[in-house]
Amino acid sequence: MIRKGEKRKKRYGFLIDLRRCIGCHTCSVSCKAENGVPLKVFRSWVKIIEKGKYPNVSRSFLPSLCNNCDSPICLKNCPVKATWQRNDGIVMIDEHRCIGCKYCMASCPYDVRHINPLKKYVQKCYWCYHRVDKELVPACVEVCIGRARIFGDINDPNSEIAQLIATNPVQVLKPELATEPRVYYIGLDLDVMDPMKGWKGWRHDDGGE
Amino acid sequence: MDVQIIYNIPHERPLGYLIATYFYLTGLSAGSFVVSVIATIGGKVEYKPLGKIGAVLAPILLIFAPINLILDLERPLRFWHLFVYLNFTSPITYGTFLLTAYPLSGLIYAWFVFKGPQKMANFFGILGIPLAICTHGYTGFILALGKGRALWSTALMPSLFIVSAMVSGIALLILIASIRNRFFLKNPEEREKDKGLITGLGKFMGGIIIMDLFMVFNAILVLLTSTKEAYEVVKLMLFGSFSLEFLWIEIFLGGIVPLFLVFNKKTSKSLTWVTIASILTLIGVYSMRVVVVIAGQSVPLH
Repeated sequence: MIRKGEKRKKRYGFLIDLRRCIGCHTCSVSCKAENGVPLKVFRSWVKIIEKGKYPNVSRSFLPSLCNNCDSPICLKNCPVKATWQRNDGIVMIDEHRCIGCKYCMASCPYDVRHINPLKKYVQKCYWCYHRVDKELVPACVEVCIGRARIFGDINDPNSEIAQLIATNPVQVLKPELATEPRVYYIGLDLDVMDPMKGWKGWRHDDGGE
Repeated sequence: MDVQIIYNIPHERPLGYLIATYFYLTGLSAGSFVVSVIATIGGKVEYKPLGKIGAVLAPILLIFAPINLILDLERPLRFWHLFVYLNFTSPITYGTFLLTAYPLSGLIYAWFVFKGPQKMANFFGILGIPLAICTHGYTGFILALGKGRALWSTALMPSLFIVSAMVSGIALLILIASIRNRFFLKNPEEREKDKGLITGLGKFMGGIIIMDLFMVFNAILVLLTSTKEAYEVVKLMLFGSFSLEFLWIEIFLGGIVPLFLVFNKKTSKSLTWVTIASILTLIGVYSMRVVVVIAGQSVPLH
């Protein structure tokens, strides 16, 4: 267990270099294949927006996945401690303990958790811990054709991710919520990270029970 | 800047009507318990029947409330995990024990209200009040600590829940008491006295409705001037797809109309109108629970 204020020896982080992202959804597909994610739910996906007026237009991408926050609200709110955090920072769910109260899903500011429709408990992206433990990178990092996704130990100054974070302007999602997310973005567009931009309003057939 | 969303993954709303109903039932229970204790300890003999009605209602409602919670679980048979694996930063862990202790203390209170001695009823009544308030207050904390949702994560939420619980609890007591008055009281003199009590309770309800409306007004005003997500969620409630549930049912039918009925000179003396006011209030508070739970999750997070 890591106590408050104590520095982790190893802290995994995730960096997405959006200057290299082409919005091909290979990460979303590979995640489904690697983790056996059922139909209708996603752990990793890419939001795409288009902005401007012809001919001055551009597309922006927001590849989303669990931020494996350093101060995760899901962990604080889980009533049965089914959500726990490894010493290297990856936030895990004990599937034998989860009762499916969905409080974590309701409180996650990034909306990255889902109920597994077959097994009936909450799941999310774990940065492919089973691969990471065998010295491999997560599946989405492995397949990214533009090498836009970089995974590694942000506390190791010699790692590629630590060097990229140190030498580039980086950004995280919703930093004001103090969840301390550990997915960093280079070149993140203001309009794609704003959930309200281009949102057409809520309809009764959206996301029912 | 023109922005078009080309592709995004919509997510399911995690919490729905079962949770709203659960909030509603605990609110009803806590409210009617508190009013029952006030009536029991209040001293006057006339108030005693009200105390008895509340004492019966509170534990019955609280037996049905957690059933909604367990049905809402994806793994209902694992509900016992809540008693074994505790997380002291989670309001639901506190709720587990409150939801166990409060109906038990309510049952003991109800026993002494009916069988005496009065002293024991008073003792368990006073003991139960903080439990009742915590049991409903913690549901407010569940929402307030859901930091991802702008409508929920305000410091007002627990107090707002307690006030609306009181409103709904009194309304339910009025409804049951007027049914008793109409169909079960035979002596005309006694009936007239009882009627005075019920219309008095109506005025009490009116006072708390004013508090409730004031708090809702505060919440809406601050949300309108706070973050973008908060602004959007209030727009949904005022002009969007929840304006029927919020503006018309919760505020107008469930707030303003009952206020008029219980404070108007003519209608406030009529048992029928006060009963109608209480029914409207009950509908309005249910609508409030639905709006808070469902509209709160109806703006996108990514």
